[in-house]
Amino acid sequence: MSHESTKATIEVIGLRKRFGPQPALDGMTFTVRPGRVTGFVGPNGAGKSTTMRVILGLDTAEEGKALVGGVPYRTLRRPLRHLGALLDASALQPSRTARHHLLWLAHSQGLPARRVDEVIEQAGLGTAARRRAGGFSLGMRQRLGIAAALLGDPPVVMLDEPFNGLDPDGIVWMRGLLAELARQGRAVLVSSHLMSELEDTADHLVVIGHGRVIADTSVSQLLAEASGGRVTLRTSAPARAAQVLHGAGAITVATGPDTLTITGLPDAETVALLARNGVPFSQVSTHRATLEEAYLELTRDTVQYRGIPAPEATR
Amino acid sequence: MNPLGSTRLADTANGAWHVTFTHTLHAEWTKLRTAGDTGRLLLLTITLTVAVGCGTAKAVKCPDTGCGQDPVKLALTGITVGQAVIAVLAVLAISNEYGTGMIRTTLTAVPNRLTVLAAKATVLTTVVLASGTAAVLASLLAGRCVLPGNGFTAAHGYAPLTLADGPTLRAAAGSVLYLALIALLALGTATAVRDAASAIATVLGLLYLFPILTQVVNNPHWQHRLQQISPMTAGLAVQATVHLRERPIGPWAGLGVLATWAATALMTGSLLLHARDT
Amino acid sequence: MTTAPTSRPPATRPAERDGFPRTLHAEWTKFRTVRGWVLATAGALLVTIVVGLLGTAAPAPGGRGAHSAAYPKGPGGEAVNDSFYFVHRTLTGDGTLTVALQSLTGTADTDTGTDTDTGTGTGTGRTARSAQPWAKAGIIVKEGLTQGSPYAAVMATGGHGVRMQYNYTHDTAGPLSKAAPEYPRQLRLVRSGDSLTGYTSTDGSHWTKAGHAKLPGLARTVQAGLFATSPEAKQNTATGTGFSPAVATGTFGRPALTGNWSQSAWRGTQVSGDAGTSGSYTNTTKGDFTPTSGGGYTVTGAGDIAPVVGGPVMGAGFTVENFLVGTFAGLIVLAAVSTVFITGEYRHGLLRTTMTATPLRGRVLGAKALVAGGIASVTGLIAAAITLALGEHSTRGRGFRILPVTSATEARVMAGTGLLCAAAAVLALAVGTLLRRSGTAITLVIASIVLPFLLATSGVLPPGVSQWLLRVTPAAGFAVQQTLPQYAQVLSVYEPSTGYYPLAPWAGLAVLGGYAAIAFGLAVVRLRRRDV
Repeated sequence: MSHESTKATIEVIGLRKRFGPQPALDGMTFTVRPGRVTGFVGPNGAGKSTTMRVILGLDTAEEGKALVGGVPYRTLRRPLRHLGALLDASALQPSRTARHHLLWLAHSQGLPARRVDEVIEQAGLGTAARRRAGGFSLGMRQRLGIAAALLGDPPVVMLDEPFNGLDPDGIVWMRGLLAELARQGRAVLVSSHLMSELEDTADHLVVIGHGRVIADTSVSQLLAEASGGRVTLRTSAPARAAQVLHGAGAITVATGPDTLTITGLPDAETVALLARNGVPFSQVSTHRATLEEAYLELTRDTVQYRGIPAPEATR
Repeated sequence: MNPLGSTRLADTANGAWHVTFTHTLHAEWTKLRTAGDTGRLLLLTITLTVAVGCGTAKAVKCPDTGCGQDPVKLALTGITVGQAVIAVLAVLAISNEYGTGMIRTTLTAVPNRLTVLAAKATVLTTVVLASGTAAVLASLLAGRCVLPGNGFTAAHGYAPLTLADGPTLRAAAGSVLYLALIALLALGTATAVRDAASAIATVLGLLYLFPILTQVVNNPHWQHRLQQISPMTAGLAVQATVHLRERPIGPWAGLGVLATWAATALMTGSLLLHARDT
Repeated sequence: MTTAPTSRPPATRPAERDGFPRTLHAEWTKFRTVRGWVLATAGALLVTIVVGLLGTAAPAPGGRGAHSAAYPKGPGGEAVNDSFYFVHRTLTGDGTLTVALQSLTGTADTDTGTDTDTGTGTGTGRTARSAQPWAKAGIIVKEGLTQGSPYAAVMATGGHGVRMQYNYTHDTAGPLSKAAPEYPRQLRLVRSGDSLTGYTSTDGSHWTKAGHAKLPGLARTVQAGLFATSPEAKQNTATGTGFSPAVATGTFGRPALTGNWSQSAWRGTQVSGDAGTSGSYTNTTKGDFTPTSGGGYTVTGAGDIAPVVGGPVMGAGFTVENFLVGTFAGLIVLAAVSTVFITGEYRHGLLRTTMTATPLRGRVLGAKALVAGGIASVTGLIAAAITLALGEHSTRGRGFRILPVTSATEARVMAGTGLLCAAAAVLALAVGTLLRRSGTAITLVIASIVLPFLLATSGVLPPGVSQWLLRVTPAAGFAVQQTLPQYAQVLSVYEPSTGYYPLAPWAGLAVLGGYAAIAFGLAVVRLRRRDV
């Protein structure tokens, strides 16, 4: 199964919008392509939710456009068959049952009630579907939101913070679901402010800050860049090793009593150089940055709301 | 307010309650003050009350002696409209907390629910008394300016409106109290039903339906009874300054009827608030 | 995934055109799946019925007319007063009666301290001697002595000149209908089959046609003769309008007859036995007739030959709209539900989901309005139908009279009540959309519909201001429930305080509908422009 590539895309082109004097979107541009999970990350207030609302035609941008499958969302006649979205899982009439919530959505798209029961199964709601949604836990609400997003069997799926409130089982389920949706050829856009959630899920990343894209790259590329060719060396003679390596033009930093981090020299050359000079070493490994580190590195200058470091003793 | 002070004072049982209540009062006052539309609603109450009172005073003429009109009641007609805004204000004071879930924060901060309600009622009453006084005084002043031009002159047996006159003072003070009682009635109802829409509908229904029903009832005895128990008709009897004996209920007794309604609503509200999970 | 996404129909399929029914279906599902709203709607139905029945549940006050089960009905089915003093003989076939009316005078108790609340006074005050504007004396041909039977009459009135009236509702001004006609005045009524023609003359030789009546199916044998009657005296004081007992006395010359008249002497009868709901004898006068020296008669009577209208002259009785007083209660509930139908979506953030499912915002609001308005109108219609059926049955059992209306009028009132509720619901929905807050929106809607009504009907404001209020505010819509008739030839208090609206039924409803339409339009514009 694969989606036509033009249908299964989100194109965001030069969006600008301000709330008062504060620019919320400042030339936001990126494309979500089919067949992969695109992570949409940025610190709080970077403009993730606003971008998603503009994509859905809920908010209007002052400049630029957002296209779903090549057309503006508001021109779609059965939009849930083109894009399924989960924005705010608690956006529910509390006294309505989960099934009835899905039922009116289905009716609005001309979908049969049978489809409702299918997505209830798919989202793992089961018997809870006939309970009042007001009594749902956050995790159950997320599942209900996922069910609503999948209702129209859309080629594009857009989820805002889908991992929020999920228990470990739920997180595993959500990762599996996202991977499966992408494997089916859909374009999947998943926002998060926690990079670690996307570590094993996203294939591609759009990192934003201050209302514009900072990085639009594949996960592996980002990691490679963040790792920056650093090599970690474990040796019983760190001083001698440093001396030898400096001679070859590398920069070393002692990161432990018997560890050095080397920059400017690939691992293979390091091994060859040390062996040639008879420096003993027990381990040479390429340093691998975590996605979190890479992300922090990228967004360091764009974080809007930074916590003040807690004082040493509070009481 | 020093938060540390309360901790220390909380050792004595009586003092603890007192300080906590004062703190709750302060908190509720801050909430009402910062609610956003409180000021606008109070201003609207005053404007509507004065405007409707002024309009009524302008519309009613007294061509000769014994036209039977009650100039004080005319000047204070705006209360019938202003009370609707007061009811909204009072309902929102509690329903907004339920609507946004803030009630949980409030009850976490002050676990004694009756303290919360009492503080809310106190703050609300104070605010309504203040703005009600402004509205009533402005209405009477407007009446004093407008009414003589419509034949309410000394020649027709009407002295200019003045608070030095006993019945006028009673009508003025009573109207202010009336608004405060309406606020308490609305607060009690909203505490009981929680939802703003249901609370408003209940309060306005209670106020407006009785007088409409009275017009239809074809039996003088029943009519009389309805007027005596109607929160609005009985409560507004306090505005009467002439033909007191022909009224279905005396001025203070009428206000007492409204007070009973308000007390019942508050009681129901506090019982439910006390007994219920939030 | 159960279906291959590629097999999805393209977005431009013709079936896509049925977008509005889909949205409507979705909104209907939304409404019916919130139990509170369904219960509230049922509550609106119930409260309309219960308040209506409670409002009319009082026992009859035992006053005038309490013992009679129904108003007499005229040939057109309308409630009538048919009370007058009748000096009559039997006429078979065609014939003519000519008589000179030498004077029309009246007696009325005035200054009795009555007001609109107590209806009539006890008549202990001064007595005035002048005929009431609609005091009547003249010639009448009537099918029988029973109330409500067909008639035609030519008459002089106290203040409106010579008139030709027939079958209660028809009134034609005669020639020279000056306020003060000269006396003696000659009157003539000619019967020819079912056709009756009235003439008047000042000199007895030059006759002018006063009017013509066709009474289809008029019996061959009728009662014909002289009559006098007077409705109560209406007094306007600064405190209100009062009615006090009044009688009229007509002094007639010798009647001249042609045709087949019974040979018996003239007989006097008080038709209906009393003076009806709009007339009343004074303490000192009773209906009577006495021969005069010139072969004529003096006839004294009280009452009226006219349709029953509202106000104090209606007596103890109910109108159809009285039973519908619960509409106010039902309306408050329906307005609250309709407001929450949209403000609830704002409050829970659900509107974003709705707009995501149906990006055409005007369509969403249109579907919501149709659902809320439809539910309200059905509720109002059913409530009105049930209340009328139950109410009429129960009040009749307790000795109240009910002003009869045609089935077309009753249908109009029921349909109108439904539409009234629908318009209020749409207004509430629109105001809710504009304000986004349920509390303020509901207050605005209820206050704008109910408060003007309350102020207009309480009697505090002068009638002019009250009528103006019921013309320009949403409260004008209640006009659609009015069944009380208004006739120029019957004096009453035709004001909001007695149930008379300044606008015609549908015009009044159109005012409320206009408010709803404007608010809806504004709501659509606002909703389209706003970020949700």
